[in-house]
Amino acid sequence: MNLFVYDDFLNKSRYNRVLNKIEIRLTDLGLNGKILRLGSIKNTSSLIQQEVRNGAKNIIAVGNNFTVNKVVSALVDNNLSDLFLKDVLFSLIPVGDNQSIAQSLGIEKEEEACNIILARRIEKINIGLAGKNYFINKAEIKKSNILLDFNDFKVEVSDKNTTSIYNLFDNTDILNKNIIFNNNKIKVVITNKNGDLSYLQADNLQINGEDLMLIDNSITINLPKNIGLLKNKLNVIVGKNRLF
Amino acid sequence: MIIKFMFKKEKNLENFKNAETIIGASIRVKGNFNGQGDVIIEGKLDGSLKTSANLLIGEKAKVTANVEAKEAFINGEIQGNLKVKNYLSIGKTAKIVGDVECGEISISRGALVKGQMIINADSAKDLEKKETKETEK
Repeated sequence: MNLFVYDDFLNKSRYNRVLNKIEIRLTDLGLNGKILRLGSIKNTSSLIQQEVRNGAKNIIAVGNNFTVNKVVSALVDNNLSDLFLKDVLFSLIPVGDNQSIAQSLGIEKEEEACNIILARRIEKINIGLAGKNYFINKAEIKKSNILLDFNDFKVEVSDKNTTSIYNLFDNTDILNKNIIFNNNKIKVVITNKNGDLSYLQADNLQINGEDLMLIDNSITINLPKNIGLLKNKLNVIVGKNRLF
Repeated sequence: MIIKFMFKKEKNLENFKNAETIIGASIRVKGNFNGQGDVIIEGKLDGSLKTSANLLIGEKAKVTANVEAKEAFINGEIQGNLKVKNYLSIGKTAKIVGDVECGEISISRGALVKGQMIINADSAKDLEKKETKETEK
């Protein structure tokens, strides 16, 4: 069974046309399913988890990075047993701005995304863990004095730098540099306005400092102490142009 | 002690197409860094640095550490002992205060090295032969 999770910002009338186009395309492709609109729902996680327990196998987030983060967080949350999760497929139909996760997954906008869902190219992805919050794409700390503890060594980062902690890359500029990126590690990229770049990889790390962290370019949290990865956690439908 | 200077072999930085770690000029690393892949240091590092692959130390880098690598290209400052299994290139802007041990070496005019130097080309050749055999297998 397909479950389409529509984010609440899609209730605005300017998205009517694009949603109509998507729904027509989905019908043409035989990808009908139940629609869950998040507008009036307070406890998103428990509702999505209940749908999975009731037999939803393909969970499709319709929206942007924020939508994906909400849906994926509900799916990988401890309340949902791995027994349920192993049969679940996650996908995305990007609508609106802030689409770095779609870019990572190689999913084109709107109608093309419907074709990608039909093609069912499946990859198992890791999910990033920043304290108690999940991230799919990256966690970012902007211009802050922090100390990154990689267990054997520590890295001092001054407030002139931006620290980006990646699970999945969304940045083709970095991919074009001559670096090796390991899908099973956290990738730390430290940059500043002078074009200076540092690149480190780790299984997990600790952060010392007091500031804010931006998760998946959509949720701001207080700087957590621990950063880690939940490996091979979620089956995801991806496009040919995925960046991992 | 065997000392041989190898000038015939011109090596460049082509090996650095796939860096596993880059320490940029704006950060400082403290502790024991152990790597498996190529490492580029442009910033500051205090502690120890060891990689089983290639190492590039940039012009403005300041490394206060004992350093071990398979091949190394030094253009910055090292305070500590440097042990390179195979080929070591010391550029004109390099400043090394510590003992140096390597298989093969090239030193550019202007480089500063203060310490004991052991160059054992035979061990480097043995290593190359061993690697060639492993690749052929």
